[in-house]
Amino acid sequence: MQIAVWQIVVITLLAFIYRVDRLGTQVCGHNAVLYAWLVGLILGDGMTGLIVGASVQLMSLGVAALAGSSVPDYPLAGMVGTAVCIMTGQDEGVGLAVGIAVGTMGVQLDVLAKTANVFMAHKQLEYAQDGQYEKMKAVTLVGPVLFGLTDAIPMLIVLAFGGDVVNAILSVVPAWFTKGLSLAGGLLPVIGMGALLTYMPAKQYFSFLAIGFVLSAYLGLSILPVAILGGAAAYEVYKNLTSRIAEESIATAEGGLEDE
Amino acid sequence: MSKQIEQESMKAPAEENGRLLTDKDIRKCAWRWCMSVNGFNYETQLAPSVVFSEADALKKIYRDDDAAYRDSLTNSAKYFNVTPPVAGILLGAGLAMEEKNGTAALGAVQDLKVGLMGSLSGIGDAIIWILIPTIFGSISAYLAQSGNPIGALLFVAVNLVFSLGVKIKSWDLGYHFGTQLVTNLADKVAALTEAMSVLGLTVVGALIPSVVKLSTKLTINIGDVSFGLQEGLFDKILLGLLPVCATAIVYQLIKKGVSTNKIILGIIVFCWLGAAFGFIG
Repeated sequence: MQIAVWQIVVITLLAFIYRVDRLGTQVCGHNAVLYAWLVGLILGDGMTGLIVGASVQLMSLGVAALAGSSVPDYPLAGMVGTAVCIMTGQDEGVGLAVGIAVGTMGVQLDVLAKTANVFMAHKQLEYAQDGQYEKMKAVTLVGPVLFGLTDAIPMLIVLAFGGDVVNAILSVVPAWFTKGLSLAGGLLPVIGMGALLTYMPAKQYFSFLAIGFVLSAYLGLSILPVAILGGAAAYEVYKNLTSRIAEESIATAEGGLEDE
Repeated sequence: MSKQIEQESMKAPAEENGRLLTDKDIRKCAWRWCMSVNGFNYETQLAPSVVFSEADALKKIYRDDDAAYRDSLTNSAKYFNVTPPVAGILLGAGLAMEEKNGTAALGAVQDLKVGLMGSLSGIGDAIIWILIPTIFGSISAYLAQSGNPIGALLFVAVNLVFSLGVKIKSWDLGYHFGTQLVTNLADKVAALTEAMSVLGLTVVGALIPSVVKLSTKLTINIGDVSFGLQEGLFDKILLGLLPVCATAIVYQLIKKGVSTNKIILGIIVFCWLGAAFGFIG
């Protein structure tokens, strides 16, 4: 579909706001589904947004950007993927592949912004020591502008040229290429699963992994009832652990007395 | 800076009950702290945002003592990085110390920040950046796959409380109660984290067969009988075996330190081969 100028403006702005919130207020930063859905709604197809957003969200599980590290920009991937899907009318997998490619390249811009901010920090300190306190505060705002642009620019480029470029490529590639991408769309959430397991004590609590698997694969329960059962198990484990900590501290306190 | 300036400024903030800042001032710092990672740079990390959020409160503490104010700002501009939603505990506690002792407290403020940055981030990262996104992200993705946005909205609501809400509140806590809070909570938080990973693992166990979509078109021919592996075996007896295998492989690769980007590329190539030769579908 052909997209209107207002749609380009609103989505580019959304990408900017997304980034500033992700780093600042930090309310929707990991919420790829939300942003993909919003892009879908703006382009008149919320459903596609939800589907693409879901795949991206699942991939992103367990891949957190901690201590200033740079990881693929998953919510941007979701927004780009949704826009590409809707603009080209192609399958979810095609959008996803483009989205991930853009989200991964976006990391380069992220590094650039974090480097440019070094100059901002120096300028800020300079103003502080010069006694120019209003300028000192104002120069900090360079940060959110830089970071916002790292997502707004790629988004704008995709919206302006993405549809035509993707269609031009797809018109020359063989059938297995798009078929493969749509298969990959279904398989890629496995990344998030694998990453999560490396984060969590998977070996120690393997039984709960097995229980969750059986509840879903064999008993066909959806995720909410499984989460409630998991929460019940977690509560028991928590009670056990805290009572053990309490016992240990009593034991050490008593031990201390006996030694005296 | 010179000792003389330090001594002068030590006298300055000594008012009756020692309070120069109101709760409103602290709240203002907290809202300005929403700059958080937007001030991130490779040299001093979150420090520019600390300066940005504390500038007005520090001005109130040092008032006309410009030299002391500059010293304090310079101190705020030193390296700082803590999970932003809980950083207010350290920054609020630091403000309380400077309010009481002026620039004489700067060394102690810096020690406090550096000393507790790591352990506080350990707690904050585990809960706010890993546990919550894992649990609410997976619920939201699962529901979105069937076209339901309610999970994503629930995720927003949870973060309004646990990310933004805690970010604002943590300044109050730090300012009024200092950092004893962190040490008191450490044990409980470790237990909570471990317990929540039980919930996380149960959910992941359930997610693997439902969100990882991999099936095969391979058939086995025994004499005249052709037997589709997927319909005959994986859909009937060994449910979810292929997604489980795929997860196990990815898990091993990540553990071996293969980057996620390479694994993503590998999966796409694998699917191209599968589509070209028709062994998955």
